[in-house]
Amino acid sequence: MTRERLRDRFPKGATRRMTQLGLLIGAALDDLVPRYDDAVVYATQYGETRALEGYLDSFPAASPTLFQTSIHPSAVQQAMITRQQPVGEFFPMTGRGHLVAQAVQTSLLSPAPRVLLCGGEERGTWLLTRGVASDRTFAFAVALTAEPGGALGRVALRPEDGTGGATEFSLPDFFEALKARQALDRPVGPGARLILDWT
Amino acid sequence: MLPAAAVRLEAAGCITGLGDTAATHAALLRGERALALSPVLGAEGGELVPLALGGGRNLDETAPPNWLPLVQRLAAAIPAYEWGSPTRPVFVTSSNFGVGSLYAFRRGGDPGHLAYGTPSLCVEWLARQLGWGSTVTTLSHACVSAHLGLTLAARALHAGLAERALVFSFDFISPFVTGGFHALKILNAGFPAPYADRPTGSIGLGDGAGFAVLSRDRGEFTISAQSLYNEMHHFTANRADGAGFAACLGPVQAAASGRRLWLKGHGTGTLEAGRLESAALAAAFPEAPLVSWKGSLGHSLGSCGVVELALAVESIRTGRAPGTVGGVAPCFTPQVALESFSTAGHDGVVCTSNAFGGAHAAFLLTHA
Amino acid sequence: MPDPLKTKLKQLIVTTLKLEDVKAEDLSDDEPLIGSGLNLDSIDALELVVTLEKEYGIKIKSSEESRVALGSISHLAEFIRSRADPARLPG
Repeated sequence: MTRERLRDRFPKGATRRMTQLGLLIGAALDDLVPRYDDAVVYATQYGETRALEGYLDSFPAASPTLFQTSIHPSAVQQAMITRQQPVGEFFPMTGRGHLVAQAVQTSLLSPAPRVLLCGGEERGTWLLTRGVASDRTFAFAVALTAEPGGALGRVALRPEDGTGGATEFSLPDFFEALKARQALDRPVGPGARLILDWT
Repeated sequence: MLPAAAVRLEAAGCITGLGDTAATHAALLRGERALALSPVLGAEGGELVPLALGGGRNLDETAPPNWLPLVQRLAAAIPAYEWGSPTRPVFVTSSNFGVGSLYAFRRGGDPGHLAYGTPSLCVEWLARQLGWGSTVTTLSHACVSAHLGLTLAARALHAGLAERALVFSFDFISPFVTGGFHALKILNAGFPAPYADRPTGSIGLGDGAGFAVLSRDRGEFTISAQSLYNEMHHFTANRADGAGFAACLGPVQAAASGRRLWLKGHGTGTLEAGRLESAALAAAFPEAPLVSWKGSLGHSLGSCGVVELALAVESIRTGRAPGTVGGVAPCFTPQVALESFSTAGHDGVVCTSNAFGGAHAAFLLTHA
Repeated sequence: MPDPLKTKLKQLIVTTLKLEDVKAEDLSDDEPLIGSGLNLDSIDALELVVTLEKEYGIKIKSSEESRVALGSISHLAEFIRSRADPARLPG
């Protein structure tokens, strides 16, 4: 369904090797029109789950395509390679409860004039039955810049004492907040508070 | 391609198929090769390919992973700070994490492997084993992963978010990754000869783990400049004009102006990438001798940047850089050093790594 | 009379590489497989190699050898005929 819905957004023939996650990340990034002087920060807990499942199932005659596709950060590379779009900085990250905080911090630390913060997950099959895959497929991309003009909102990460390691804020929750244009003002990791407000 | 600000390197160390930093360095000076022909799928057999496993461990994973003792041995050499506390963050970098455990589960059915199988589960488990706090950031971008950790750690230090930062890289091979590179036909029966101008290319794969402790003001060495670039041209090929390599080297070349350098390249043993890489390095740093140690150690994937940083530091400390073990003449450029050489008279080393997708990374290491 | 091996190879190429909108019978015998109008690349070539090794019991040792073997459908058929057990070939 995703493939049928999105294939016309990519060059002819390019989608046959793309995964669901790659298609979604690609569509999301495409709307932001990536440039060579952007930095890209990519956050995903599980990465290319379906390619990973397929690759593991291809043994003993291991599939080179699925091997290649399963390696993090394949989804963003699928998208950018179809566009032949080079980029200076690319920080693919992974993690769990503090991943959002870390991805936002990485974005804010970049000196690039614009940072494309993107992420997502792909629903698994047999890995999901074992509790080691996402139970939903989604993707997002936002452009972060110090230029205030025309902004949809504002994001800040403030230091905060005493949150310890107990506070977690998941990638799916971040996706939902972005989708709903929900304001956030909450601890998201050790010593970090995320502020997100919308104009 | 935006350079990161300079940081001091307080400590570095590694573990490879030849042992710890000092043992690995000494063995490389003797021209020894860690790689040995082993079945590509471990217990399930297959073609014999060059692999370098650490500490006598088996390619087939156990639960818990059989590489844990090697990591614990390495971690014992890390200067003791409260790692994982907010001002002493840890940046973990890997390409494989515990994917060997996922492979073992799928092939053997033992659910005990699953606890280590995803990157987040693997890193959280490792953090508990090593007594780290929760300020642990995980980066994964194939063979430039370690460089990303170094860059992000440097930025955290300069932003005042950390007093010290630990970059910890690990990659332990399994049939998951050996099967994949074998399917790509670059891990085959031939031993790697980095930068050799010959008809067929081949790589070896090796275990590797390493650490680097960075600070703003302590340490014998400085990482003076760091650079990143991503061609996004093709998953397994670079732009034929070498522009990607040049784009990454440019900022480091500017920072290194006036210095007499040697070069620690990526040099896995593949042909076209090796040709492009060595040509770009020769153009940017004429007359600088170029080495790669992957002909002995194998390619340690996501950990190679920090593993080889530790060996570069050891080379400067001891005054001798190992040559390109496993390399054979003729080479792509005359700068390729097949034999070891004195680092005296050189006042810096440029270390580079490259990865799938045309990712490039480089840094300049000098005395503080 | 169409060559049964070439016919089979064309079918394998279309299904293995998931070539949407391409009919096997439209593939040319002598057009380069890689870097031509089909937009196949080196990864496609390697995926094909895995399929061919399984199908015909042959072995392609390196990426350089795969590049030579996959020069065209005709080249590939010749390569397979020279390496495979005849009992595994069609027709």
